[in-house]
Amino acid sequence: MPVVDEKKTTEEEWEPRILAFACNWCTYAGADLAGLNRMKYPANIRLLRVPCSGRVNPQYVLEALQKGCDGVLVCGCHPGDCHYSTGNYYAKRRLMIFKRFLEYVGLEPERFNVKWISASEAGRFRDTVKEFTEGVRKVGPLKESFTLAPSAGDKLFGAHNESEAPASEEGGAA
Amino acid sequence: MSDITTTLRERARALMEDGTIAAFIGWEAGRFERQTTPLICLDAADTDRLIFDEYCVNTTAKYVRDLKQRGRIGVAVRGCDSRAINRMIEDNQFKREDVYLLGIPCPQMNDRKTGTVLNKCQDCAHRNPVTYDELLGEAMEETAPQDRYARAHLVSGLDRIARQNIFNMAFERCIRCYACRDVCPCCTCRTCFVDQRNVGWLGKQDNLSENRFYGMIRAFHISDRCIECGECERACPMDLPLMAINKKLVEDMNTLFGEYESGMTTDNEDALRSFSKTDLEEFE
Amino acid sequence: MSRIGVFVCHCGSNIGGVVDCPAVRDYAATLPNVVHAEDNKYTCSDPGQAKIRQAIEDYDLDRIVVAACSPRMHEPTWRALLSHTKVNPYMLEVANLREHDSWVHADNKEAATEKAKDLVKMAVAKVDHAIPLYTQQIPVNKKALIIGGGIAGMQAALDIADAGYKVTIVERKATLGGKMPMLDKTFPTMDCSACICTPKMSEVGNHPNITVKTLSEVTKVEGYVGNFEITIKEHAKYVDYDKCTGCGLCTTKCPSKKIPNEWNQGLDNRTAIHKVFEQAVPSKPVIDADHCLKLTRDKCGVCAKVCPTGAINYEDVDRETTETFGAVVLATGYELIKWEDLYPEYGGGAYPDVIDGLHFERIINASGPSEGRIVRPSDGKEPKSVVIVKCVGSRDPNKGKAYCSRACCMYGAKHAHQIIEHIPDCKVYVFYMDVRTPGKNYDEFYMQAKNDGACYLRGRVSKIYKEGDHYVVWGADTISGAKVEVNADMVILETAMVAAPGATETAMLFGVQTDKDDWIIEAHPKLRPVETASRGVYLAGVAQGPKDIPDTVAQAGAAASKVIGMFSHDSLESNPQISNVDIAKCSGCGTCVHICPYGAISLVEKHLRENSVKVTRDVAQVNPALCQGCGACTVACKPGALDLLGYSDKSIMEEVDALCQW
Repeated sequence: MPVVDEKKTTEEEWEPRILAFACNWCTYAGADLAGLNRMKYPANIRLLRVPCSGRVNPQYVLEALQKGCDGVLVCGCHPGDCHYSTGNYYAKRRLMIFKRFLEYVGLEPERFNVKWISASEAGRFRDTVKEFTEGVRKVGPLKESFTLAPSAGDKLFGAHNESEAPASEEGGAA
Repeated sequence: MSDITTTLRERARALMEDGTIAAFIGWEAGRFERQTTPLICLDAADTDRLIFDEYCVNTTAKYVRDLKQRGRIGVAVRGCDSRAINRMIEDNQFKREDVYLLGIPCPQMNDRKTGTVLNKCQDCAHRNPVTYDELLGEAMEETAPQDRYARAHLVSGLDRIARQNIFNMAFERCIRCYACRDVCPCCTCRTCFVDQRNVGWLGKQDNLSENRFYGMIRAFHISDRCIECGECERACPMDLPLMAINKKLVEDMNTLFGEYESGMTTDNEDALRSFSKTDLEEFE
Repeated sequence: MSRIGVFVCHCGSNIGGVVDCPAVRDYAATLPNVVHAEDNKYTCSDPGQAKIRQAIEDYDLDRIVVAACSPRMHEPTWRALLSHTKVNPYMLEVANLREHDSWVHADNKEAATEKAKDLVKMAVAKVDHAIPLYTQQIPVNKKALIIGGGIAGMQAALDIADAGYKVTIVERKATLGGKMPMLDKTFPTMDCSACICTPKMSEVGNHPNITVKTLSEVTKVEGYVGNFEITIKEHAKYVDYDKCTGCGLCTTKCPSKKIPNEWNQGLDNRTAIHKVFEQAVPSKPVIDADHCLKLTRDKCGVCAKVCPTGAINYEDVDRETTETFGAVVLATGYELIKWEDLYPEYGGGAYPDVIDGLHFERIINASGPSEGRIVRPSDGKEPKSVVIVKCVGSRDPNKGKAYCSRACCMYGAKHAHQIIEHIPDCKVYVFYMDVRTPGKNYDEFYMQAKNDGACYLRGRVSKIYKEGDHYVVWGADTISGAKVEVNADMVILETAMVAAPGATETAMLFGVQTDKDDWIIEAHPKLRPVETASRGVYLAGVAQGPKDIPDTVAQAGAAASKVIGMFSHDSLESNPQISNVDIAKCSGCGTCVHICPYGAISLVEKHLRENSVKVTRDVAQVNPALCQGCGACTVACKPGALDLLGYSDKSIMEEVDALCQW
């Protein structure tokens, strides 16, 4: 398997790596329309086509954030416009909860968002990508808080300094 | 307390003998002082070993799933056990008529090491069973906690870096023994996602990212169904603040999608498997 | 081990001019399980396709990645190609290097090439875990439902019915026809609108293959292409159409005579039991329940007494019927924008002689209340000076709609022409933004109106106010730069077309999207203009966007031909990218059953052998004909017992991992 390009991971030349889950019927088509209109937006984004925002499992989002994406965007049809009538309503509930959850465990709010972009909203797609990319660029690489996983072994060698973090007091009785 | 033990034994024996139930689930004394273990009575004679005291910390309802092929199962249920039963009925794991419930108002359970009331029992809002066939003893006056989400509020009030540290440390500590999953009455999958190697949800490594994936997704999977019994946190050998996570999810769902308490009935509309067109729109 | 072939397309210079295609090709060749990678000038062309075929043979490929334009464009092309090879058509992945890369990142070629590599990498990772999928046959019920009985719906219905298939038309109003029979003349030929429309209405009404349901609407849709189970609600008419002969005696005797007549835009009155207009089809009356004395106050009952056939039934109720249809045409039409609320400077509807185009059509229509004489609604006098204002609500994103309503320039010219023809000494001023007359004989018609003496002034009207018995119109002539003030006896506002109320709700029943202005979105604006994203649902007429009668009729014919094409087969191929249950993982919790919008999943009791023990338990089962492949159930299924074929958990996770880690 090819190795991650070293150049991309160094601080100075860091470019945010952004994954967007795009509904085939709206946002993916909206992005096609943006191409048709030769709109310009940052090249950091990679679209992953799904049939519906309802197909986006929060597990994919967490996987992407933990394995090396600096930001994840989920895009679907506006509520009421779902090609499958209701998929995006479920997606909305799931992702509302999941976004709060991610922020609760310490993720910056800029790194995960959900946007409704219809097939006709090429301009909105462009603006969303620009805004989101800038937001992620502002908060920087996602390695301190989420990606870099000190292995259990690191603890033994003192790589993880526990005294710096406040102690957790929420432990239940055994 | 010994009254309850006596009545429990009598009723369980009678039900076994008249053929109402094929097995009975309760607790028996453990090998150590102030310790009990779950007991599954398959024979009327076993019922003499049943006890009930303030150290019956385990929620036993989940054993019904393993026994239901034998016939109707008798269960001693407190508030949390009865809500677990309701939850599993709603998740189509068995039917109400598959169980015979001996309800016991709960005196609150104690930590065997300290002798003080368990965290999960301090948070309890329903000490009386919410469903039963017979109630043993007198119903208690409920002592609902001041703040249902206190354990989440302890953390949600902190700034982002502090929360990040708390949870990074917690997940770092996790040994992925899966005890929290195994005791959870909402975790009724036949094959948990963590045990599925082919999709690649989770690797075997013990590191922060894999542990967090497990910790977060486990909580998310039960989020709209969590009965807030606190068994996961009690069972955790590493003292992870699991209820701080579960309560956060429950709080968000209550605030965003309407008030509910899982496990109080068997016809709850779970928040993540329903929707309303008038849901808050924050992704415009 | 899979054997993947990667084909990188230059698309002429569309991709190749920005992305370094040979570099992408070389990079692709290094990816796991890629045994062949090549770049082509035009992969979609015949020689390009031939090269894919050849490579499949030469390198024994079993899955393909095409890095080219959007899969929404050519995925079907590649699938069709693969169906003639040994590679399964679903062992294909398309990386979108054009719309999502070269066209939008032309300013940064290096980043575009990097992105292209990533997109190819993700596609390779996904296709590596593809499994062969096979289509199933779906039976087709050869019966069409047309929603909307205007000219679009009628034309589509006639074309389909003439081809020998059964058609049902659902119309919300009490008569077929829609807007067209309200009009007086049609541009540019000046045919009498009713003379060409009402024969079509009676043809539809009498056609043996067509069932007309008026005062009806669709309330529920289940099923799928070829097998839509559609519930139609027929509102109570209080008249038994089987008995009614349409003699009209009831309407002459009805004592409630003071109800504003919607057909004539409120210019005159009608009775409570009424026929919408003389040539209505069905040519039978209905009772307006809101105004009928019998139904509101339990008095009167005259119509029942005079009816010679006993057709009046005050006990009539709304009736719902459910039928199966194979295809649906949405022809929901339009209304004129409610300008009164948007333009208070034009009087906001307070001036009786400031009217919209449809009003004027009823005034000048020989069957209208003034029998074709042009008179002012306020005092019945003949106007000697008329101002026509175009683009009211159109091309005005601040107040109305941003779009051009397309037909107004022409009917504005028609109105000018008609006024001068009827009242030769009448002065006609037309305020316009632009004159748009692309169409056969359209510009000639406009020039004719100018030659007739209509005074065209380029500019918007800023204010209309009343002074004595005439109106003062303030406008600008942007060509001379002068402020213009015109005294007018009557002002005609050529207002914007907007989508019919309820069009979005109806479209939603079929899972069809509408845009921000509620027009129905076609499957592709150029290549699939009469299809919607929902298979088996087509569209015709203004429901898609403003258009004039010739375009509407042409589009209705096109939609009909699509339906006829579909009905020429006894069965269709199903979408194989649907949900699939792994029974071993399914705990039978039933969450998926709740979530599925198509009712495609049910719990069934299965007798299974597990760990050498016989067990009986509930597991989920997917109906492959009902499942549309949205995947909502797969996320709700915690253990992942449900997985979406073609977009499996494994393949999406591989794509994510490929992007992050490879």
